[in-house]
Amino acid sequence: MPQAVLVINKSGGLIYHRDFEEVEVEVEDRNKPSSNDLLILASTLHSTFAIASQLTPKAIQLQQQPLPNLVPYVPMIDPDNLVPRKKLGSFKGDDYFKEPFQNWNKSGIRSIKTDQFTVYIYQSLTGLKLVAMVSNRSDTINETVVNNLLRRIYCLYSDYVMKDPFYSLEMPIKSELFDTKLRNLVKQL
Amino acid sequence: MSSKSSGSAQLRSLKIMGEDVWKNRTEKVNAELFTLTYGSIVSQLCIDYQRDFQKVNKQLFSMGYNIGVRLIEDFLAKTALPRCENMVKTSEAISKCAFKIFLNMTPQVTNFSPEKDAFSLIIDENPLSDFVELPMDAMKQLWYSNILCGVLKGALQMVQLECDVWFISDVLKGDAHTELRIKLNKVLKDEIPIGED
Repeated sequence: MPQAVLVINKSGGLIYHRDFEEVEVEVEDRNKPSSNDLLILASTLHSTFAIASQLTPKAIQLQQQPLPNLVPYVPMIDPDNLVPRKKLGSFKGDDYFKEPFQNWNKSGIRSIKTDQFTVYIYQSLTGLKLVAMVSNRSDTINETVVNNLLRRIYCLYSDYVMKDPFYSLEMPIKSELFDTKLRNLVKQL
Repeated sequence: MSSKSSGSAQLRSLKIMGEDVWKNRTEKVNAELFTLTYGSIVSQLCIDYQRDFQKVNKQLFSMGYNIGVRLIEDFLAKTALPRCENMVKTSEAISKCAFKIFLNMTPQVTNFSPEKDAFSLIIDENPLSDFVELPMDAMKQLWYSNILCGVLKGALQMVQLECDVWFISDVLKGDAHTELRIKLNKVLKDEIPIGED
């Protein structure tokens, strides 16, 4: 399960942040980043992403064949085995998609690995960035799984944020519905 | 040569993909509900603007634009299509995927300009204009389905294709076909998200 999910708009502003940290004793006294810190973190991530895509190794620049870019499909099984499954907004069936898909982010940062956790970035064709921070403690979660999760979050965004008449584009997301759906989705991982 | 054959294979798969997403990945509602809701919007606009149909056209366009800039996210989330490298690809994606998924129809793509930057969509079974007959005073000016132009303009703009979209003819006005024209003005290169090359 990811520790946190962030949504960054195309101009590099943080529009959504959610922590999924289990309540532990050690968390109590840890310095939580303020919303201002998170805003700075998001825009730094945005610009680092841009710089990274400018710094492509020469060998890859000269390569004729483009790098393989297809993300394999990973089904997400609900551990609580909810039968029948809840409806997925405007999406029919028991999953949002069921085939491998193209990763739009070809030369930007896809993941940052640290001692404690790994940051994964998924970028849409419209410039929206979805970021997941995953603790290294869970060894079943790799880039493919997270990319599958982030595309599902993008599906949620397209349903519960884009179809909200009270949401203005590029502004922070304050949708309870999106919140709950996201939480349920992340819990499945 | 090989690129040509793979290109046509991709176009065929676009069609299959559009049909698959529509069939298995999209919730359906009764099309009449949609048609009637749109009808009530247009008729209300005609009343609000005291039958000034130019204003109605403009309002429908801007409503469509606002829908399009949001609808593109839904389209991309459902299909995960890669970026279209030219307008021919774009036209196929619009007719075979986008129209199929949202309106369950496949308009015919014709009349490419020599530079391949403009094309027409022939919309034969327009679900917006079922049960519709334009009143005499609206015949000349009102583009009944003008919301479609706005949607296309808004959606294409969000994938950095700055286009003009307008109706050329409409069966409701007594023409043989409903024809919608899309012309690419320019690709907003600076605004393409970094990391795609």
